[in-house]
Amino acid sequence: MSSRLDFIRSLPYFAGLSDETAGRIEEQIRELSFAKGETLLLEGEPCRGLYVVKTGRVRIFKSSLEGREQVLLIAGPKSTFNDVPVFDGGPNPASGSALEPTTVYVIPREAMLSLVADCPAAMNIIRLFAARLRHLTMLVEDLSFRSVVSRLAKALLDLAVATESQAPVPRLTQDEMAAMIGTVRDVISRALKALEKEGAIKIEGRRILVVDPDKLRKMV
Amino acid sequence: MAGGTMIGVTIPEIDESKCTACGDCVELCPASAVDLVNGKAAIVRPEDCDYCTDCEVFCSAGAISCPFDIILVKDRPAEQR
Ligand code: SF4
Ligand code: SF4
Repeated sequence: MSSRLDFIRSLPYFAGLSDETAGRIEEQIRELSFAKGETLLLEGEPCRGLYVVKTGRVRIFKSSLEGREQVLLIAGPKSTFNDVPVFDGGPNPASGSALEPTTVYVIPREAMLSLVADCPAAMNIIRLFAARLRHLTMLVEDLSFRSVVSRLAKALLDLAVATESQAPVPRLTQDEMAAMIGTVRDVISRALKALEKEGAIKIEGRRILVVDPDKLRKMV
Repeated sequence: MAGGTMIGVTIPEIDESKCTACGDCVELCPASAVDLVNGKAAIVRPEDCDYCTDCEVFCSAGAISCPFDIILVKDRPAEQR
């Protein structure tokens, strides 16, 4: 048995497959290698298939409208990624780039779907579940972002000091704000922009001006 | 820039003792405001820096910080609501 076949059969997706079926999947696998920093797949592009890390590590991330990256997971050997679009037929939900020299197996979507091709009911269920998973993931992202915006609004209300007052004006980096409200810098930067867009604050150089405390209060 | 008369030009703070002169900030600053001076990073074109805070992220040595003052503005005219 080839080592590639052994590797494939050790993955949860392919446990218990007959030799023939596992062999058929193995024939369709493409092996791709990437240098450190190279992009493996792009968010929003059509799905090429299921990715399995053979060696190396892959950073899976989403890019915000401002071009910032939010890391979702680091996939190491034997980890799969890009699972959802394989089954719901949608675009890649996130991008991936190699953190170090990396080799991946790409199992084409058709090969994955062929595993359940003779059972239309299973196919329907999987497609439905994948679509729900995509939807729920987006919902969780949205909810957790909104909760950060709300916590940040509260923190800014508590912290902000008028320049004419006696108290010293608090001075914080975005990392410090992130630590304060239990998130990461990247999300703080997006949350600050969201608050500015709402007209609650204004960012001028190194100053965060709380221009409409009432608006902030409503967001808490 | 607003507040410029009070606090001068807004630029990141660089802790020279932490700077390893790797040059990442010089290469990556979108405004080309940073350069190495005597083996340490320095904001050589402060007027070009728009305080995007990218350098704070790029600097893996933690030598750059871009803090914000959090200021309550009282009775600000509602012009930009
Ligand atoms: S990125 Fe940091 S360590 Fe590298 S040159 Fe700039 S300040 Fe120095
Ligand atoms: S804050 Fe932005 S513009 Fe200013 S020095 Fe850093 S990277 Fe350059």
